[in-house]
Amino acid sequence: MLSRTRLVIVGIQPNIARILASSNLGRHALVARRLLSASTCSHAEHTNYSHRPQAPSSLVSGIEDRNVHKEHHPNAQIDSHGNEINPYRNGPSALDKAVHLFFFTEIIRGMWIVLENFFRPPYTIMYPFEKGPLSPRFRGEHALRRYPSGEERCIACKLCEAICPAQAITIESEARLDGSRKTTKYDIDMTKCIYCGFCQEACPVDAIVETQNQEFSTETREELLYNKEKLLANGDRAEAEIAANLHADHVYR
Amino acid sequence: MSLARTLRNMRRTGVKEWWRQLQYIGDAKSGALIGQDQFGNKYFENRNGEEEVPGRHRWVDFAQHDYNASQVPPEWHSWLQHIRKEAPTNDPVIQNLTPPWKAPYYENLTGTRGAYRPYNTVAPKINAWEPKTHART
Repeated sequence: MLSRTRLVIVGIQPNIARILASSNLGRHALVARRLLSASTCSHAEHTNYSHRPQAPSSLVSGIEDRNVHKEHHPNAQIDSHGNEINPYRNGPSALDKAVHLFFFTEIIRGMWIVLENFFRPPYTIMYPFEKGPLSPRFRGEHALRRYPSGEERCIACKLCEAICPAQAITIESEARLDGSRKTTKYDIDMTKCIYCGFCQEACPVDAIVETQNQEFSTETREELLYNKEKLLANGDRAEAEIAANLHADHVYR
Repeated sequence: MSLARTLRNMRRTGVKEWWRQLQYIGDAKSGALIGQDQFGNKYFENRNGEEEVPGRHRWVDFAQHDYNASQVPPEWHSWLQHIRKEAPTNDPVIQNLTPPWKAPYYENLTGTRGAYRPYNTVAPKINAWEPKTHART
């Protein structure tokens, strides 16, 4: 009994000693709330990347401060034959490992994480009140755009019809009285569309775009067979958002 | 911390608003009112990482009881989905790019009488045969 107690104390002792040795680490491990925003596994900007623009002060992750407390291994000692002298010198002892093995500390640590999550704020995004982040390049419902003058952009070049891998676009055109060629029929079968975005990439005048709207589900199938009027109406309603997204992306195009 | 968060947000927003949030959003939230769109939907934000999980820091309070994600107009939609950083009320890009011919927004009307019904925008090319008979002389 005595020997077993001693084993536990000896086995756990290095951890306690390490925690107590660095009061900062102890504060982080024991006191600080473990939130998503305070996680060590952060993809936020690190301040040592000097070539990147500095993040605003409100978005600093503080990951460097948390990582400096990790163990530092001094340089390994090499003997004359090139072999490392006592490579386990900095690692846990055999007794340490045996304690973790026989007392199921990994299971307890895993259950501790489960327990922690009971007391964390919920991670679930409550759609439709809250929504996840979306890219300006997101490809959703289609729209036909107009020039700022109100003239429709599409010139019926039929490049989108040609490139469409699902062959969802049907175009017919004729010349108007002022001599410009415009479409008379611009149908997109949204049930065929695979939302690849080739049509908006092929378009030379940015007429057909895929907006960020993803809430266009319908109750009947025929409502997904869009014609030109529907696509132009989509563009007329969402022109500010479409133009802002193209503006946000114009440096990459 | 969830219970503490619920109590804190109840204390901040008031019991009535807290109860309304529990009925609609299903969670107690508190934050700054960023703006209101033409339909009366209210948009809130709380950028404190200790109070809201990042990704849940923007939300909408729908004006209608029969709420629908498509009731959010496109300008606010791009704010709500974190596409634009600034709200459309003080986003110069959105304001400058809004054309004068912008059409009034309406929600997804599927399942109602206003639902879109496809129709042909050109004259049909194939017509049924209409026999024309000449009167016999």
